[in-house]
Amino acid sequence: MHSFYNFVSGPLAWIAFLLFIGGSIFRIGRMLVLVAQKEPFIFTYMSWRYSFRSILHWIVPFATVNWRRQPVLTVVTFAFHLCLLAVPVFLLAHAVLWEDSFGIRWWSLPDTLADTLTVIVILGAVFFLVRRITRPEVRFVTSASDYVILAIVSAPFITGFLAYHQWFAYPLMMGLHVLAGDIMLAAIPFTRLSHMIFSPFTRAYMGSEFGKVRHARDW
Amino acid sequence: MKTIALVALSLIIGTVLAISPVWSQDEMTVVDNTDFPNAQRPPSVFVHDRHNENAGIDDCAVCHHVYDEGQLLEDESSEDQRCVDCHYLERMGDQPGLMEAFHANCKGCHEQEGNGPILCGECHVR
Repeated sequence: MHSFYNFVSGPLAWIAFLLFIGGSIFRIGRMLVLVAQKEPFIFTYMSWRYSFRSILHWIVPFATVNWRRQPVLTVVTFAFHLCLLAVPVFLLAHAVLWEDSFGIRWWSLPDTLADTLTVIVILGAVFFLVRRITRPEVRFVTSASDYVILAIVSAPFITGFLAYHQWFAYPLMMGLHVLAGDIMLAAIPFTRLSHMIFSPFTRAYMGSEFGKVRHARDW
Repeated sequence: MKTIALVALSLIIGTVLAISPVWSQDEMTVVDNTDFPNAQRPPSVFVHDRHNENAGIDDCAVCHHVYDEGQLLEDESSEDQRCVDCHYLERMGDQPGLMEAFHANCKGCHEQEGNGPILCGECHVR
């Protein structure tokens, strides 16, 4: 009766976590090796001070010129990314699984709040989809993989939302939800979702160049 | 006269039959979750007698267990107590908290037996 759910939440979940953690370590290690081989001079101008100045500057909504130039995109992207991280990490149902499986106690959000944040993620994904299709400058740099990763990211939230409300074939929806989560976790290191692990490095790199080499602000 | 008596008798019997479920002890259909100050989910569906009949559980202590110093006391049961009397809202050392205890008792057994609901919404039905 639960064989599909047991498979996706058992062996497949282990594989997904292994790919996510192992893949992330591999990608960071590979990046460092490549830098050492091809552009070792980067280390001469990488700076902790300008790195963190830039990360801090860009992590605050509307703090940079580019955030202010695109106010709607700024609001949506901050809301989307915050909710995207907060919901799976602090969902009560996920905390219960951590507790039941490993005895790990974890903080959790009230279910109704998590439900609202989930809707924000789904609406954010719709916004990004529409933006990709309608904005010529975005469309120009869009490839099929961008739509695929948008689907990979929104699938766990759509299935999770439907499962939470128990609206359609509930046990099947739960299985699909876990499967979608497995796929997303495993995809992070190997697709452009890897900006999750690389964005601090790219920001630090640009911040260092603007600060220490060009002696300029980082907008 | 005989007809009136028959009508009266059937009325009395009908009334008694109609209200008798009110007199009988309420059958347990959900797990009482009133001890949770801020319950996030609907109470678990649990029809006590039907569950135990289906699962073939005769021994009350299978669920209504008694532990002393971390040791299960055989031949003792605790159906005269409330779960929350031992399982407080927060875990106390090795003693599971109330929610953890419910999940371990119900879902743990279902997983072990490979039978019965294990998904959140299969018990916490909306």
